[in-house]
Amino acid sequence: MIEVGESGSRSEWTRSDVMSETSRSDVDLAVPIGRLRLPNPILVAAGTFGYAREMERVVDLGRLGGVLPKTITWEPRIGNAPWRTVETAAGLLNSIGLDNDGIEAFIAHHLPYLRGLGSAVIVSIAGRTEDEFVRMADRLAIEPGIAALELNISCPNVAHGVDFGADAEKCRRVVSRVRGATDTAILTKLTPNVTRIADIAEGATEGGTDGISLINTVLGMAVDWRARRPLLGNRIGGLSGPAIKPIALRCIYQVAERVSTPLIGIGGIGSIDDVMEFLVTGASAVQIGTANYYDPTVSTRILDGLPDAVRELGARSVIEIVGSLEGLARPGARGPA
Amino acid sequence: MIDSDRQTPRYADTLVHASVPIVSNERIAFDTYRLRFHCAEMATRFVPGQFLMVRIDGCQDPLLGRPFALFDTVLDAEERPIGIDVVYLVKGKLTSRLAKLERGAVLGVWGPLGNGFAPVAARRLIMAAGGIGQTPFLALGRESLGRRAYGTPARPILDVPDVILLYGARSADRLAGVDAFRDAGIDVRIATEDGSAGHRGRVTELLEACLAESASARGGVQVVACGPDPMLEAVSRLTREARVACRVSLETPMACGIGICFSCVARVRDGEGWDYRRTCVEGPVFAADSIVWSVKPGGRNDRA
Ligand SMILES: Cc1cc2nc3c(=O)[nH]c(=O)nc-3n(C[C@H](O)[C@H](O)[C@H](O)COP(=O)(O)O)c2cc1C
Ligand code: FES
Repeated sequence: MIEVGESGSRSEWTRSDVMSETSRSDVDLAVPIGRLRLPNPILVAAGTFGYAREMERVVDLGRLGGVLPKTITWEPRIGNAPWRTVETAAGLLNSIGLDNDGIEAFIAHHLPYLRGLGSAVIVSIAGRTEDEFVRMADRLAIEPGIAALELNISCPNVAHGVDFGADAEKCRRVVSRVRGATDTAILTKLTPNVTRIADIAEGATEGGTDGISLINTVLGMAVDWRARRPLLGNRIGGLSGPAIKPIALRCIYQVAERVSTPLIGIGGIGSIDDVMEFLVTGASAVQIGTANYYDPTVSTRILDGLPDAVRELGARSVIEIVGSLEGLARPGARGPA
Repeated sequence: MIDSDRQTPRYADTLVHASVPIVSNERIAFDTYRLRFHCAEMATRFVPGQFLMVRIDGCQDPLLGRPFALFDTVLDAEERPIGIDVVYLVKGKLTSRLAKLERGAVLGVWGPLGNGFAPVAARRLIMAAGGIGQTPFLALGRESLGRRAYGTPARPILDVPDVILLYGARSADRLAGVDAFRDAGIDVRIATEDGSAGHRGRVTELLEACLAESASARGGVQVVACGPDPMLEAVSRLTREARVACRVSLETPMACGIGICFSCVARVRDGEGWDYRRTCVEGPVFAADSIVWSVKPGGRNDRA
């Protein structure tokens, strides 16, 4: 699948190269996500890029539209017992359990490095309660060099991880309380493990989020029948990778038809074709996740291919193509339709 | 698919990510293959005990790469490292597919990764291997005997007079690379579970005997071990009792190999307690007494 798609697009790029070398610079890649302005729409997803430092030897980090370090919590968390990941067909099941050293260790050891990258730093936070989300936003509000917060209300691998992501009213409340605590841009990251994701997106929008990131992983399981045991230490976990791309695209589509809030597409993105599909379907930007694991330099290579792909649609900016899918009905005004 | 010039690594510092064609991929023992590719930028940087990730380019199932130890560097006529040899056992989705690939098939590779072994300072080096755990030891043996230099800048030329490989396998047909070890000047001692070659029994029995024989060795003995966790746990107990320094190379399943997914954790002593640490970044080589051994998680993780 990937082979056909990618070799196809590579030959397209070659054709565009011949057309005009200067054309690349004509394409405006910048995208606004509420009060957040990104130089380009290619970001890397929380939990799939470590703390960015691990990648500095192979990725020119300053070129990325934004970097999301691994989700942090108020207290240190040791994380779940192994195995923490299992590969499945075209996908990866994980149950890491938000293994991290806590917010103070993040501020002391990782933030100084991140803010020097020259790329938008979007800090992913997970609170166990509304108050804890607010306390984390408050604590980070005095730290320079943070472009946005991403509220992770969608982690399937910890107790209460999706409490705020599975109920529109709870989602609205936590977003609006964080909104009250900080002037920093807010992204709200949603789980696909709900019946009507657009309802939750509406809650986030009413709460005042600048953007909505979707999707987090899809609940799944893997079993060794001979040993009669689940393979993950945590028994169940979240599925990511190419296997979930159709689910993610469907979520973007449904949410794009409900709210005009800018969307950030996540789920199975590993090529320029994948990125274009998300943009056309209504995402203003994308985050690359699992693909970083199996193709460490994929993010900047996709960025290299973006201008030509935009031009192929006869456009001169990324903004023009966002939500240009035939028949997509986006609500006009900001907020729920 | 990565770029038009598949043989040129794109980003060269310590870690190199490249698309490379297979140069050779030969069966050398039961379900065991030796894979070769050329990538000078990577080969010149490798030190013994480090590993690389290998993926079938563009393939979605298997999707992820798998970690493989450096078996040895491949040298050109002027003795400069130009390629990498990996020895692998067929045990899962990727290795089954890999075994069927021929010269010219394209792999995604990234490495060198992990800490590797520190240069050995001892009069006698005992390398204990179980299963496919012999793979990191050819390079370590060569370096310790002073026969080959590794790394950029090159690590010091060593002079360990006595390098022994204790190699345990299920049966004689599974022993892989024994000639390469012997040709390198390494004293190879074998144990098989069915007695079809060498000592009938476990590699830990060879180790016990070897430690007893080394008790009077002057100038220091050092043990390194690689294999399944129960074997490593036994090795670390034996070496602790014998008061001999021991390092183990863990074979933890990995998803990325670079430190960005936090799936490859082992329990590592930390003050009074322990913490989960990434074996791909802080390991795969650890001081044996720093690991808190645990019951293996259940089931067969098809990560190979
Ligand atoms: C091993 C692993 C760890 C993850 N950790 C986090 C995390 O800490 N916070 C978060 O918001 N999402 C986390 N995710 C979810 C990803 O950010 C992303 O939403 C999901 O994997 C789907 O995208 P993908 O298919 O491109 O990977 C994690 C995913 C994986 C595979
Ligand atoms: S394998 Fe991903 S962090 Fe070690």
